[in-house]
Amino acid sequence: MNPPVLDLKNLSRVIQSDGQPRAVVDDISYHFHRERVYTIIGPSGAGKSSLLRLVNRLDEPTSGEVFFHGKAHCDYRPCELRQKIGYLFQTPHLFEGTIRDNLLYANKELSDDEVKSLVEQAQIKSSLIDRPTDRFSVGEKQRVAIARLLATRPEVVLLDEPTSALDPSYTEAIEELIKQIVDREDLTAIVVTHNPQQALRIGQEALLMVDGKLIEHGEVTEVINNPQTELGRLYKERRLK
Amino acid sequence: MTTPGFLEVAISLVLVVIAIVIARYWRIPVEKDMALGSVRAFAQLVAVGYALEFIFDLESPWLIILALVIMIVVGAHAASGRVKGIRRPFVITVSAMAVGSFVTIGVMVLARIISFEARYIIPLGGMIIGNSMNASALTADRLSSDLRSQRLAIESALALGKGWRVASAKFIRNSATAGMMSMLNFMKTVGIVALPGAMTGMILAGAEPLDAVLLQIIVAYMLLSAVTITSIMAVELTVRRFFTRCHQLQHDV
Ligand SMILES: Nc1ncnc2c1ncn2[C@@H]1O[C@H](COP(=O)(O)OP(=O)(O)O)[C@@H](O)[C@H]1O
Ligand SMILES: [Mg+2]
Repeated sequence: MNPPVLDLKNLSRVIQSDGQPRAVVDDISYHFHRERVYTIIGPSGAGKSSLLRLVNRLDEPTSGEVFFHGKAHCDYRPCELRQKIGYLFQTPHLFEGTIRDNLLYANKELSDDEVKSLVEQAQIKSSLIDRPTDRFSVGEKQRVAIARLLATRPEVVLLDEPTSALDPSYTEAIEELIKQIVDREDLTAIVVTHNPQQALRIGQEALLMVDGKLIEHGEVTEVINNPQTELGRLYKERRLK
Repeated sequence: MTTPGFLEVAISLVLVVIAIVIARYWRIPVEKDMALGSVRAFAQLVAVGYALEFIFDLESPWLIILALVIMIVVGAHAASGRVKGIRRPFVITVSAMAVGSFVTIGVMVLARIISFEARYIIPLGGMIIGNSMNASALTADRLSSDLRSQRLAIESALALGKGWRVASAKFIRNSATAGMMSMLNFMKTVGIVALPGAMTGMILAGAEPLDAVLLQIIVAYMLLSAVTITSIMAVELTVRRFFTRCHQLQHDV
């Protein structure tokens, strides 16, 4: 197999909560390979978002390291790294202005054609390109945020519960969109979801996190349908809080 | 009109009594504050009066600087009480106020527009430091509150590879503007809606109105400069607390 795009080595992040140290990400190691879709599942508060934030370097790990193409995170300039490892927040935040403004904010070198093709790719009507985004629905905003995410030409995209803020009727369309983008752009995607069915629909591998720890990992069907650990079985039976 | 003495001050207490009677009659619960406030105003101002007489007699430049430093420290302490969400905000307010005030006063003294005598420097310094106190408190507090409440907006920009300065540009602008706003409003309406206290005071004390006006204009420009420098300093010192060298927004500051 090719060398991994992303390599997490004993990654931990400890925060102070109520004056007590608590590991929200607890000694996680994993390899992520090119052009695959990874899903991170687990109960709410398991540390899934915290893990993605470390990979985008929005937070600093307490110990352990992330390697991108074999080079440690600290050896990259943070801003360049983040353009290569895009992060989609759970709730989309668009900047003031139009869709075009948002895309150019992410990458001011985009040509008109590139703007158009990003908008098409995110399945947004091209007539909306020069409309201000403030009256868009959350679903539309999420599409713009996806187009904007792709504007920096990332190699890895981190999607944090990309459908949880949306109307259920949008979920399927956004899932389709994610699959298409990953296929077309040779991207590696890491998708956090609290819904195991969604992981089965879009993912190839799954990582189950509980209490900051990596409990199960492997082929998505195995992790979800045939867990090997007690916590994995509890999660399958929805008996984890 | 002669300059008032303590007897005249005592007689004008009648006005305080009238105010208290009115407040009591309309059941506005401020009588205590009014009574206390009048006593405090009297005590503080008389104390300052004696202090000024003492300082004016001293003529030592070091004492003038010491007086400015004390005003800045006291003002910065008061300002820091109004800045929420940052540890040890005094460090920010005192540095911002010191730079804003000393640069402004320094330029005027070096340009020989104001001579370095206690009689001029202390009252001007008081006005400048008072304004820069408000500017530092408003700026730092607004910025700290925006950087906390606008986390998603800021991190959305950071996550796209923007540096911290770009990601927080809007909030930097807004908070610096907030710090300067009352000064800008003052400049807009000065002379039309209200006559500034210093000018009024000079005229009451017998100065020619035009002399008073010219001095007031210089004072306004000094305040503008002091407030602007203070706000920018407060922004720079505050925003740096919130970001790490790796362009990460941290809230434990
Ligand atoms: N900045 C923070 N301050 C305090 N607690 C935090 C902070 N960030 C995360 N946490 C805590 O860390 C845990 C993991 O959070 P998170 O990564 O958001 O979980 P998930 O995304 O799996 O729901 C939660 O218990 C959350 O309360
Ligand atoms: Mg989360």
